[in-house]
Amino acid sequence: MGAALSEQSQAGPTGETLLQVSGLAYDYSGVSAVSDCSLELPRGKITALIGGNGAGKTTSVKMIAGALRPRSGRIILDGQDITNIPAYQTVELGIALVPEGRLVFQHLTVCENLVLSGHVRRARERCQQNLERVFDLFPRLKERQGQNAGSLSGGEQQMLAIGRGLMTMPRILVLDEPSLGLSPILVSQVFSLVRKLNEEGISVLLVEQNVHHTLAIADYAYVLEKGRVVQKGEGQALLKNPNVKEAYLGLA
Amino acid sequence: MTLFLQTVLNGLVLGGIYSLAAVGFSLVFGVLGIVNLTHGIFVVAGAYGALLFFGQIGIDPLVAIIPIGLVLFAVGYVYQRTIIQWAVSRASLVASLVVTFGVAMMARNGLQLVFGPDVHTITPAYSFMSLTLGPLRMDVVRLVALGASLVLLVVLALVLARTHFGRAIRATAQQPLAAELSGLNVRNLHGLTFGLGAAMAGASGAIIGIVQPFTAASEVAWTLNAFIVVVLGGIGSPAGALVGGLLLGMINAFTAQYIGPSLTQAAMFLVLVLMLLVRPSGLLGNAFGESR
Repeated sequence: MGAALSEQSQAGPTGETLLQVSGLAYDYSGVSAVSDCSLELPRGKITALIGGNGAGKTTSVKMIAGALRPRSGRIILDGQDITNIPAYQTVELGIALVPEGRLVFQHLTVCENLVLSGHVRRARERCQQNLERVFDLFPRLKERQGQNAGSLSGGEQQMLAIGRGLMTMPRILVLDEPSLGLSPILVSQVFSLVRKLNEEGISVLLVEQNVHHTLAIADYAYVLEKGRVVQKGEGQALLKNPNVKEAYLGLA
Repeated sequence: MTLFLQTVLNGLVLGGIYSLAAVGFSLVFGVLGIVNLTHGIFVVAGAYGALLFFGQIGIDPLVAIIPIGLVLFAVGYVYQRTIIQWAVSRASLVASLVVTFGVAMMARNGLQLVFGPDVHTITPAYSFMSLTLGPLRMDVVRLVALGASLVLLVVLALVLARTHFGRAIRATAQQPLAAELSGLNVRNLHGLTFGLGAAMAGASGAIIGIVQPFTAASEVAWTLNAFIVVVLGGIGSPAGALVGGLLLGMINAFTAQYIGPSLTQAAMFLVLVLMLLVRPSGLLGNAFGESR
């Protein structure tokens, strides 16, 4: 049961790197938002992408998920070039982006929100089991399954957004600022949830401004600044890095 | 009292037709954010289609709804995926206003070229029958028109509420990005929604053809009616279109009966302005809410 949403059953024989991103760049009507984003996502690990406001984190993950088409660069998933594949198809390949700001369908019920994304081809046959699995994970969502998503609290909406991603049985779960706007208790819950999902076999790309929490659970992390990756290293090591400390943790 | 009831009955029938004629416009407006000024063309094209089916091969307009709906669905889909999509992606949503206005003008003249400027009517066998209930009198065609309109509205409402396709349309209207991330092909869904709107308009046109005379120039009035219905009832839902349509029908019937037939347009616009002042989102509000 625990592995119902993970990729263990379908993990390929290929190497350690599940997703390889190199030299991604994107302009918003002539203004460069991302100039050089390169990172590797090891299979079965938590990889973090951190950086301040406007560093280009959201733009980068939108490109990875196919919601934006990069100006240049390559995105390779398990040996397959997916650079120009649109978002509704990358979902079928196993990339689920839980977008910044949650973006739940406010006028659809909780259940409709989940079933909608559970209808993707790769997960359709297991829709019912996946729904039960998400309800096991988030009992609050089960209690409120008939309510409109707009009536949920911020934390519940975040659970719903994550649940919506899980319904597609992702190989890679990309979480864009899941702790944004949540109370400290809920923030801790979100991070332990991420860890739990990872332990069940889902590879995670975690985008966060909450650097402390993030580096504590990340196996590996990249620091994005002004649209390019400026530092990388193991989570614990970056946590002790003086530059990171000064820039993101407010410690000198 | 009899006059009053008769007027209510007239208003209901008129309102049912208005509702069906407007629901596609409402859907397209709510889901794509496009004010489709070609909408009246789809309505009139449906009426001409019914005329052809009836005149050439004797198929009843109510049966002709099916082929007419299919053809207009295809036309609407292609139209959105090409001309409208190009305009919106190269300029803005507002550009669609200009483009649909231009296409409407060309299509109106095209229809005039083909069918001539004369007023047409469709007269199936039941055209001259009427029912009486006590002192009230109602043409059978009008009751049939009301019934067919209500059936189609209910079917559309069920499709939107209960099917995956309906959920996908509603989700796309609310959060296009999240819809895409949930595996929905948003561009394709926009085309399908537009096609659905055109099909409903065509169906209403076939029904309108049996109760009212029409010309190519009627399209302007039907676009305008759809717009008023949406403002009165609220954007995006069949229920909103029904409420707005019935209200408009009542306004029309009562003005014509008690004030004067020449003032129906004035009354419609008066209520439109009042509604915009008092409740700009319409009686039932926007079905897709503030998320746009």
